[in-house]
Amino acid sequence: MPSLLVLALLVPLAGAFWVAGPRGYARAVALGAALATLAVACALVAQFPAGEDAEVAVFDAAWLGGEHGPVDVRLSVGLDGLSLWLFGLTALLSVVAVLVGWDAIDQQAPLYYRLLLLLETGMLGVFAARDIILFYIFFEFTLIPLFSLIGIWGSQQRRLAAVKFFLFTLVGSVLSFLGLLAIVLWDHQHAGTGAMTFSIAALTERLAAAPMPPHVQLWVFLALFAGLAVKVPMVPLHTWLPLAHVEAPAAGSVLLAGVLLKIGAYGFLRFAVPMLPAAVVTCMPWLLSLSVAGILYGALVALAQSDMKRLVAYSSVSHMGFCTLGLFALNPLGTQGAVVQMIHHGLATGGLFALVGMLHERYHTRSIAELGGLARRLPWAAFFMLVMTLSSIGLPGLGGFVGEFLILLGMFDRGWAAAPGPWIVLYRILAVLAVAGVVLGAWYMLWLVERVFFGLLREPRGRAAAPPRDLNVREIACLAPLAVVTLWLGLAPRFFLDRMSPTLDRLTVEARQTLHDRTAPMVTSPRALREGEAPAEPIGQGFCGADSWSRPRESIGASPRDFRGICPVSNGTCGWFLGADILKAPGETESGSAGTQPDEGYPGSGAPMARQAPDGVRHQGPFS
Amino acid sequence: MPNEAIAQLMPEIVLAAAAVAIYMAGAFVASRRAWRPAAGAAIVAAAAALGLQSSVGPMGTLAGDAFGQILRWTVLAAGFILVLMACRATRDAAPEFFGSLLLAVAGAMLASGAGELILLFVALELVSIPTYLLLFVGRSDAASEEATTKYFFLSVLSSAILLYGLSFLYGAAGSTDLATIARQLAEAPGETVDLAKIALALVVAGLALKIAAVPFHFYAPDVYQGTTHLGAAFLSVVPKIAGFAALARLLLAMPGAADFGWRAVAVLAVASMTLANAMALWQTNLRRLLAYSSIAHTGFLLAALAAGLAADAPGGAWDGIAAMLFYLCVYALGTLGTFAALVHLGGSDGTIDNVEELAGLGKTCPWIAGALAVCLFSLTGIPPLAGFWGKLVVVAAALDVRPSADAASAGVRAWFIALAVLSVLNAAVAAAYYLRIVAVLYFRIPLATPRRTRRGGAWSAAAACAMLVVLVGLWSGPLLGECRRARPGVTPATQVDRNDVPTLNSSS
Repeated sequence: MPSLLVLALLVPLAGAFWVAGPRGYARAVALGAALATLAVACALVAQFPAGEDAEVAVFDAAWLGGEHGPVDVRLSVGLDGLSLWLFGLTALLSVVAVLVGWDAIDQQAPLYYRLLLLLETGMLGVFAARDIILFYIFFEFTLIPLFSLIGIWGSQQRRLAAVKFFLFTLVGSVLSFLGLLAIVLWDHQHAGTGAMTFSIAALTERLAAAPMPPHVQLWVFLALFAGLAVKVPMVPLHTWLPLAHVEAPAAGSVLLAGVLLKIGAYGFLRFAVPMLPAAVVTCMPWLLSLSVAGILYGALVALAQSDMKRLVAYSSVSHMGFCTLGLFALNPLGTQGAVVQMIHHGLATGGLFALVGMLHERYHTRSIAELGGLARRLPWAAFFMLVMTLSSIGLPGLGGFVGEFLILLGMFDRGWAAAPGPWIVLYRILAVLAVAGVVLGAWYMLWLVERVFFGLLREPRGRAAAPPRDLNVREIACLAPLAVVTLWLGLAPRFFLDRMSPTLDRLTVEARQTLHDRTAPMVTSPRALREGEAPAEPIGQGFCGADSWSRPRESIGASPRDFRGICPVSNGTCGWFLGADILKAPGETESGSAGTQPDEGYPGSGAPMARQAPDGVRHQGPFS
Repeated sequence: MPNEAIAQLMPEIVLAAAAVAIYMAGAFVASRRAWRPAAGAAIVAAAAALGLQSSVGPMGTLAGDAFGQILRWTVLAAGFILVLMACRATRDAAPEFFGSLLLAVAGAMLASGAGELILLFVALELVSIPTYLLLFVGRSDAASEEATTKYFFLSVLSSAILLYGLSFLYGAAGSTDLATIARQLAEAPGETVDLAKIALALVVAGLALKIAAVPFHFYAPDVYQGTTHLGAAFLSVVPKIAGFAALARLLLAMPGAADFGWRAVAVLAVASMTLANAMALWQTNLRRLLAYSSIAHTGFLLAALAAGLAADAPGGAWDGIAAMLFYLCVYALGTLGTFAALVHLGGSDGTIDNVEELAGLGKTCPWIAGALAVCLFSLTGIPPLAGFWGKLVVVAAALDVRPSADAASAGVRAWFIALAVLSVLNAAVAAAYYLRIVAVLYFRIPLATPRRTRRGGAWSAAAACAMLVVLVGLWSGPLLGECRRARPGVTPATQVDRNDVPTLNSSS
């Protein structure tokens, strides 16, 4: 197992050194390496256990110093329920990236594929790293290949775009690194004994046991925020993104949107939320506001674009806004939604960028106005475009729906179900505005499809002599996996949710506990619940179950604004795929959940709780 | 006793003797090619002498500690790389060039190991005087003359200031031996400490020129631009190592004034890196740009030194002095590699002056451009290259400063957190101009067909530096461990203690 993960990291690296010679050979080697990595990643996903907070394929070796030295930097990699998915996504999109530039890249092809494989190594390493230094090394290491990919194979303004991308990310990331270093040093100075550890797991554990004082957390969080928010990007810091996306070659755009943006959200979830819970809770209103600002701003700007690639780039800003919205709603639904949205955005936006690249290859334009009615000329392209578009606007049955729906549930839950805090009105407004973002999203995406693929056939002049052909096998092979996984994510999200929720529960429990302590200290705390010390309140008493333990039982039903009245989805329509317990009328709580799904908790609390407290005990607590 | 002292000084003696021999023979032998192998052989012989030393310890005017040993090795290695680079760049003055180079290397080694004021000063002069010659030979035009003259006058002035400061130090402590001075000043009354503060200010000012720190940096851009790549490479490494060795030794010998000392050094650090990085952004001349880069790196080194001075319990996980030593090593590698690549790319007809002249070399000379890019990325501090670890240890040392638990400690923390933040921001700004060079190398269309040169020495020097940069980046443990073991003024016994029982230190 450990060797499998190390293999997955070494294969692209070895491929990068192997790539040479003529273009045909170089791209074959690159494709082979990417496919091999994908196979290994699939194997890792397949054997990941559902319903438990596992960490698989852990490889750990001393690198700098050691357990007895003053400093203990380790070569340590492994996958848990969060990184597993992003690791798999990277492996999948890397294959797509190799395929997408198959014919378009004719200059310096070996160098191109070498950089692509190095980029893949860096991205895989970011998600696999279990040591802060290793994480940062891989993180920065992704910059050089992508910088070169944009700068050499990009379009007109490529040099500016490459340098801007690099500098924005670097300025942010050095500040983030300072924040991470501050965490390590603080831990070392206060935990006292032993070597200075950089292990993410150990630091998370120790900071949960002995948290930093809130004002220190706030400063460290701001440092982390500087880098991660650039990477996501959150709205005032997004200005590098449209330029970089538009100027990058298709493969660069696919990987940039598909994987590299996720590193920001991943960093928040990996470092900020578990290690600095107090700061995250303190900043929550601002973070949520920025997220919604991103959703709306990205959507409105996307509406006004005349360039397809630019439109998709701004749609990324909007979608990543949803991601951070769910993340900082700080409840299980929102967090899961955020991770599902990360996966889905990687697939759908990666696919959209690939499609735009394919259109550009055929027509040498990205302008929406120059194209029209292409569905007749390129039916396969139209089909895939429609699938990706429908998924990204949240059509039920495709991945985007699950992500956005869970995020919005989480946000509404934050606004209505939680014990009222000082910011409750803001949260409610933000929740409603986020829904408006969904509507805008549908508008600009469908409008794009309508203008480009339907209506009268319109193609750039001078090219009519040889009408371009529809997608060939290579291009369909490049898009089909994305569509299939999107469909899978939409039809059977439990496969994903079961494997990620216990990990997410662990990562967010401290933040939820802090929030709970600040707003509703009288009810069962998330931490006690997680550790099995307190019985869960009957699931289903809440509006959607997820946050039911964090609100006073008395308020259920007594609340004038009952979420059930607002939520348009009943148990029958979405309970089957989000988990039977997630939405339930108050009357059918215990017997229903115990009868139909005896072993599985709802995704929010995770199954460990269910295992630790047998079913009989679980439903006979003091509250039932 | 004298025999053992001579044994300890054997590497320097070998170098000086070889230098004198080369000077003398230069008058009689017409060959141009013989001098480089001769100088290389002298350095190898000196390295052998250094490696064969059985025991090194404090003796008379020699400090004989691990700090000195590391720097002696670094200087020697830098000297070897410089000799490798120096092919044909020297034209008619080859004997003078190589003789001076060997003398300056010997001087820097002597300065690294000196434990006494007079030897230290003489050693620094032994670096300075050959430097005047080195800057001049190889390019005898008006610009070169101006650069040399400028450097000469400022260097003489700074030597005078340094000497003045040393006299204050002698007056305050009543001894020229650094260990004795440290002991005396540790328990000195207030007015003596004031005297030491004057000495400290003068010493810092005097040495700031050697290390090219703001506000004594302004000669550097002009001098770098006026001399050859080789001269600039020499100037950015050898005098800097000697200067930092002297600065660290002198400041650590003034414990009473340390509180004043680290503040002064921290301010100079921030000023150096900020000003230099801001100026470097606008440069189009390569050597001018690299001069500002060298000033900015001085800022990082000073930040490490400030952390080392302020730490009350030396030898924590991240020691400032260790960070400074490590940074000096990786800086030297990156800078020498960059200049070696430029020497190689210069072609047979002249040198590359402008950033734009590098356009498209990534395509036409992929290997040397790759080495240049690796060295530049290392200077930027991009992992996993050596420069990243240099930046990491400096920033960690600044953040890890643990002053004694008194009322002022919170203020000290704030100083060093600000220093760390400004350092990393500066590192990001510096990325802009290094990146510009890399972008020109790779993203532009080649201007002309590649010029075929036969500068195998420079090529191999650049390749060696690039490989070492990668190697140290992937496996920085040994070098870092050596540096951590080398804080001056700590007797070997306590060093062993410190390394074996890290927990005692961290819990205290």
